[in-house]
Amino acid sequence: MAAAYFSLCIGIVEVATDTMPPQISRRQFVKASGLLAVWAALAACQPRNLLNGPGSTATPAPGGPTATPAPTTATGTPAAEATGDDLLAHVLRRLTFGATPDMVDHARSLGVEAWLDEQLHPEHIDDSQISPLLAPLTTLSMTPAERFSLSNQALPGQEIILATVLRQINSNRQLFEMVVDFWSNHFNIDLSKDTCRILKTDDDLQVIRPNALGKFGDLLSASAHSPAMLVYLDQAVSNKNVPNENYARELMELHTISTAALFGPPDVVGLARAFTGWTVVGAKGQGGAPGSYIFRLGLHDDGEKDLLGLHLPAGQGEADGQQVLTFLSQSPFTATFISTKLARRFVVDDPPASLVKNLAATFTSSGGDITAMLQALFASSEFRSSAGLKFKRPLEFFVSTLRLMGAQLSGPPNALAGRLRQLGQVPFQWLMPNGYPDVSAYWATTDGLLNRWNFGMALANNSLPGAKVELAALTRDAASAADVVDLLATRLTGAALPDDARAILVDFASSGDLGKNLAPIAGLILGSPHFQVR
Amino acid sequence: MTVTNTRSHSRREFLRLATGLSGWAVAPDAAAYPSWMPRMAFAPPGVEPQGDILVAIFQRGGMDGLNAVIPHGDADYYHLRQSLAIPEPASGNDNSGIDLDGFFGLHPALRPLKDIWDAGSLAIVHAVGSPDPTHSHFDAMDYMERGTPGEKQIATGWIGRHLQTAPWQNQSPFRAVGMGGIMQASLRGPVPVTTLQSIANFHLQGRTQDLARIQQTLASLYGQGSPIDGTAAETFSAIDMLAGINVSKYVPANSAVYPKTEFGMACQQVARIAKAQIGMEVACIDIGGWDTHKQEGGLDGELPKLLDELASGLAALYHDLGDLSKRMTLVTMSEFGRRAYENGSEGTDHGHGNVMFVAGGGVNGGKVYGDWPGLAKDNLYATGDLVVTTDFRDVLGEIVQKRLSNPNNLAQIFPDYTTWNMRNVVKSAT
Repeated sequence: MAAAYFSLCIGIVEVATDTMPPQISRRQFVKASGLLAVWAALAACQPRNLLNGPGSTATPAPGGPTATPAPTTATGTPAAEATGDDLLAHVLRRLTFGATPDMVDHARSLGVEAWLDEQLHPEHIDDSQISPLLAPLTTLSMTPAERFSLSNQALPGQEIILATVLRQINSNRQLFEMVVDFWSNHFNIDLSKDTCRILKTDDDLQVIRPNALGKFGDLLSASAHSPAMLVYLDQAVSNKNVPNENYARELMELHTISTAALFGPPDVVGLARAFTGWTVVGAKGQGGAPGSYIFRLGLHDDGEKDLLGLHLPAGQGEADGQQVLTFLSQSPFTATFISTKLARRFVVDDPPASLVKNLAATFTSSGGDITAMLQALFASSEFRSSAGLKFKRPLEFFVSTLRLMGAQLSGPPNALAGRLRQLGQVPFQWLMPNGYPDVSAYWATTDGLLNRWNFGMALANNSLPGAKVELAALTRDAASAADVVDLLATRLTGAALPDDARAILVDFASSGDLGKNLAPIAGLILGSPHFQVR
Repeated sequence: MTVTNTRSHSRREFLRLATGLSGWAVAPDAAAYPSWMPRMAFAPPGVEPQGDILVAIFQRGGMDGLNAVIPHGDADYYHLRQSLAIPEPASGNDNSGIDLDGFFGLHPALRPLKDIWDAGSLAIVHAVGSPDPTHSHFDAMDYMERGTPGEKQIATGWIGRHLQTAPWQNQSPFRAVGMGGIMQASLRGPVPVTTLQSIANFHLQGRTQDLARIQQTLASLYGQGSPIDGTAAETFSAIDMLAGINVSKYVPANSAVYPKTEFGMACQQVARIAKAQIGMEVACIDIGGWDTHKQEGGLDGELPKLLDELASGLAALYHDLGDLSKRMTLVTMSEFGRRAYENGSEGTDHGHGNVMFVAGGGVNGGKVYGDWPGLAKDNLYATGDLVVTTDFRDVLGEIVQKRLSNPNNLAQIFPDYTTWNMRNVVKSAT
């Protein structure tokens, strides 16, 4: 795989190519809005959280109230928990970047509970097919010093993006990749900041991945020692004269206790002082290996500090920060905040208070054990009755499309990189420290839908340079137009389509040559509302 | 591409809905747009949209207003900013502030705005911001875009509520435009919003012979009661409308040059949509990167680069619109300002009071508005921030009232705000 993959550039969008758009017949398509029918094929409950289209007044707000009643059906009764094949389809859709036929078969043979247990212990899952895919990405195994000495300083950033996407597409440890993605956003690092493009590799491989299913406190501490994080949030340049408050604020607001803890400016200042001296060795290697964490006593404010009700005596040095990290990782505010975000990721945009409380209790009783929290989450009735309630983010759409279409990636797929940028969610390229939004209000937009339609159709038509699909092979067993629709719909959306949607597609497929219709049928399914949810 | 009978179908649609257009009638770019394009589509008889096109620019991250519009007449500014302060204006010196009124001056990177200031079409409000004390980017942005400081129970945004309450209708899919793939929170509300990155690319791609059938089938698939059916319908509607616009090579008017950045291109797209006369009432544009905790730079650095990009984009948009700029009001905002004193990393931390720019033909320009609270230690807010002496809602509310012709609904647009103190930044629409 060419290293030029994802030669993405922040801040500069490709200027629109000035071509005449095709003329398309205007259709009567505008239906009366407000007909909130059930997504029959996808969920047994009303997709309340998806009512965020611009036409709706019921827009849940990010950062808004998080305690909402459990999802209910269109008739107002509590949503039923999925069971049997419905549960299997729900779990596979929600916890993977797309369940391939092999994965569906494997999960069905194991049963849902055993499959969940297997995914929560990824070390037991053979993933040896990944190594050859990543082998060409030489910067992954370099030391920071070696990466600093590269003539192409953009290469490590490009390769860590590519490695991430390749793993999401190809790994058998699908839940692990979902959780890695979750923490990569929780502890967001933007590659465009200073040397983050050199240092994010270590953050990914040594901070996020080893701790993604471990103890939150360990993950937090690893992140606080991560050179990429310290550079990204300006901790690396802080000093005792006038401490830089950036990391101190976001460590509380975004990584642990959140604004719900009502900390104030003196807490930020106190925490910033506590962390003075936590910095990064530069490329020249002064005092340590280039790009490694170092505590520099000379930069540290050694006076006493009071923050968040903690008293830090004078002269503790590096232990100031360690004490604060332990305190933050054990706070009930942290338990609630992490629980809310996990529930938002895996259940619904506005998670029910009952679930958050349950997960926070697990966080506290297990000492911040992430695997234990996920076990509790996946066993919850809130999770099991939430089928179809999450709108795919662009990266989930992108990866699931490539993965489920069985796309063969080859050559320097810059076109793919450009498409992912256009879709709007390239890993490690979110500027602000809060990570990519995880609510549909941000993503269910006109531009978002159009880009998805075009991406799916282009892939199906084999008109995306760098990606090849074999639709004839995927539909080899289909004898009729209806068979093609059923086969592709089941493969792509994990279930048969509801009757109306199926009839529309069969009608399309029956007109003209079926072979020539394969690509548009696949493109239409990828563009349909049924493929946009997980 | 050829003109097909589908176009006459579109035309019928347009004509059926189009009405008296006098309110917005500005000569269209006749060369660029087909003659059948309605000047102002879709308003029902007698209640066509009134008022200016609003362009709302959000500077995400917290702009350092104290270095964008420098209080060079306040000696404390120079005491607090030993490494970052911009030198006092000195004639002939491009590396000094650009004097505005003897007390305030523009950062030299904002020079592209000086023409507009001199023409009386640019006003500045200083020490403006939100009364909420938060220093959280995300809470502060949220409050500002909702228009409800300290309050998150109201799900819609202030622009969304303006459109919702405006005493006219406008079914154009371009009534409210969010530039970029993500919809700005200020636009949230019942009125549909079109987000886009590029009007030239806003169409279905694929084999030409299939496209009509594909769009028809897609539209049917989005007519089965899914929660995003409305968004899909909006998308098809926008595709169809843009299909009637010539998007071949665009040449900005008046030699305007847009920065070749995401922000610059967004400004250009807004100009093109405005000129196309397809019913745009509001457009939101974001520009990020203002969180300058380190190496902010005085004359050179992160902030000057951003200020140059901002000013170049705004100036290009203003000049490119030509006469149409008389019916545009542009306003900038950022979630908070930055600390009055610099930190130890040649940057500034999160602060409070800030600067807003207001530009357009209806602006009482050439003046810096607001009460200057001073930068002496005892006059600062919290741990050392510029005090807010003008509520951002005073600026936005005045624009809604006077320029957007929606004077009677401020209580819905900015609920619970009663202590209005409008500064007379804009003129009453005639």
